[in-house]
Amino acid sequence: MSDADVVIVGLGAAGAVAAHVLTAAGRDVVALEAGPRLDAAQMTFDEIRNDVRGWLAAPKAAHEEPTFLPRGAAASTAAPFPTVMMNAVGGSMVHFPGLSIRFHPWNFRTRSTAIERYGDAALPADSTVADWPISYDELEPFYGRVEEAIGVGGTAGANRFEGARTTAFPLPPLQRSGWNELTAEGARRLGWHPYPAPAALNAAPYNGRPACTYCGFCSMNGCHVGAKGSPDANFVPWAEATGRLRVVTGARATRIETDDSGRASGVRYLDGRTERFQPARVVLLAAFVYENTRLLLRSAGADWPDGLSNEAGQVGRHYTAHVVPVVWGAFRGRRLNAFNGAWGQATCLDDWNSDHFDHDGLGFVGGGMLSAPQELKPIGVASAPVPPSVPRWGSAWKRWLSDNGASMGYAVGQFDALTYEHNRLELDPTVRDASGEPVIRISFELGENEERGHDFLRDRLHEWLEAAGATETWHGPTRFVEARHAYGGTRMGDDPATSVVDRNGLSHEVPNLGVLGASTFPTAAGSNPTLTLQAVAWRTAVHLVENWDAVAGAGG
Amino acid sequence: MPSPLDPHQQLILEHAVARLVPADELGPGAREAGVAVYIARTLAEHDTRFVDTYVRGLTALDAYARTAHGSPFVDLAADAQDAALRALEQGEVDGVDEGAAPFFELLLRHTREGMFGDPHWGGNADGIGWSLLGYPGPRGVWSARDQALADIP
Repeated sequence: MSDADVVIVGLGAAGAVAAHVLTAAGRDVVALEAGPRLDAAQMTFDEIRNDVRGWLAAPKAAHEEPTFLPRGAAASTAAPFPTVMMNAVGGSMVHFPGLSIRFHPWNFRTRSTAIERYGDAALPADSTVADWPISYDELEPFYGRVEEAIGVGGTAGANRFEGARTTAFPLPPLQRSGWNELTAEGARRLGWHPYPAPAALNAAPYNGRPACTYCGFCSMNGCHVGAKGSPDANFVPWAEATGRLRVVTGARATRIETDDSGRASGVRYLDGRTERFQPARVVLLAAFVYENTRLLLRSAGADWPDGLSNEAGQVGRHYTAHVVPVVWGAFRGRRLNAFNGAWGQATCLDDWNSDHFDHDGLGFVGGGMLSAPQELKPIGVASAPVPPSVPRWGSAWKRWLSDNGASMGYAVGQFDALTYEHNRLELDPTVRDASGEPVIRISFELGENEERGHDFLRDRLHEWLEAAGATETWHGPTRFVEARHAYGGTRMGDDPATSVVDRNGLSHEVPNLGVLGASTFPTAAGSNPTLTLQAVAWRTAVHLVENWDAVAGAGG
Repeated sequence: MPSPLDPHQQLILEHAVARLVPADELGPGAREAGVAVYIARTLAEHDTRFVDTYVRGLTALDAYARTAHGSPFVDLAADAQDAALRALEQGEVDGVDEGAAPFFELLLRHTREGMFGDPHWGGNADGIGWSLLGYPGPRGVWSARDQALADIP
């Protein structure tokens, strides 16, 4: 393999941003992508293939699916919640539902602000939640660049809780459905502040890509017309057009190699069963939370037996995930016509997110964005939990479904779960993947802070749907951990004793190794992570361009 | 694609799904929608790891029917079949896989898939499930008017 300036592991949401910025600045980049290139013609309207069987997600799961260690247990089991998404050029954004929203300024200063306002006891003693080393204001210009590049539609000023923005949304929000308006009216009736979801789905043609057709098969599927702003539609072709990006598909990274001085020298990977090595002057990991962590832990050497960039024992720490309440409502006598459109056609609100409400006496900090989406699907509705008075099968259930199926909608929250000492990622000592390598093992237990926060949001969701006119509202029996919205493992921070990468995303220990993605986030925040991880990746790439000699070493 | 179940197991399956979503005054149910065909195909082509769960589960359900109700499952009256399925649901039938993928939950999940999924996979014949739900079927383009609320008369 010829030498590259930069090798990027993973050509998804984060890696593709870096590939774009670096190639535009004249750097030669090789991207190792475990998945294939996909085509719009493959994106069909089939809930069984897309949602039930997860055809896009299954290959990643087969190689990277973590196990789960229940607290106090000796051995791991299958994870009781979903964890990984997909391998492909474009990554999981290919099948993401488009939500592209900024974190709030508070999310970057959760620890200090919570203590300032509520006192030391506001945070659980064993929580490791930390302020980010960068502020919303430092990230703001990069949010704007990503929004412009991927085509985020939204209405500036519609969300009164949004941080200050210096650029407008490049597109308007998606078409507003009857269900979108019904839920918006319900929220306003409560004195809340609904806004149309900012989404990277074209409300109008953009950058040569057509508008969304509202097909109803957006999430868990790629776009059949190319209206979704996933990296395969923007950053990857732009970078390839420079002639400086070489994409290797079907390349599964196995190890980061280092030279005698302890600098990263390249990445070893499997091309089918053949092992290859890609040398580079800078290595960027962008393979999602679990795989970024696994690659560092698997790259142990004689002088670093616990993994690369892990002298401080921080790799795998500060892991968390969203806890997601879901509430259903029936609106008897009304056909909601929500069996179509895009999940990104949602009404959202941040009244119960971050520190936008007084937490005194509530027993938790933070909150989450609430969303009521379009894009219901038939198996999804028929498989939803039923109200306690309704049986799950038989004639009575059939009658209930027939009466309510076209009148049902739901709303969800994304609770900002704190990080804890005991919640972490490690290599599983016994379970191995298809290549014989250990998989990641998750330890994750909700704290009282998370249970209370989740239940509080769930109560608000009930209120919301009732205010929108629901004749009945209900929820399922469990608290749902959405570990595809996962955070930590390679935390970003100024102190090498409590983090893995610095404020620029570069390893504290290996100067020419960077990490991109939500594995670097010190907090989960209560909103979808994709836009933020793209903005952070852009910032890291710009830092790399501007400090090339210092990071890559002399001779460049 | 031949079913990985033997003819008797396939028949029990057909009778079981017919009780989970019965044909009644609202219209046809899971048997008419071809749900047992969908499940057999799914076990043959995709969920192959669950074939043994089905074989054990259907056999156990039949044995339970003979012991508790005195007849093979397929010969029981509808209310006795319902009682046997409730026993299965509540974990009262011996010899059934429980644990991470309990047989009854798997059966219910597959039944919903076969009832409401795309007919391409062998179930939801004539869109029976979609009609029941009021789902108009997949289509590439939906206008704002299509997405407006409507009153149900």
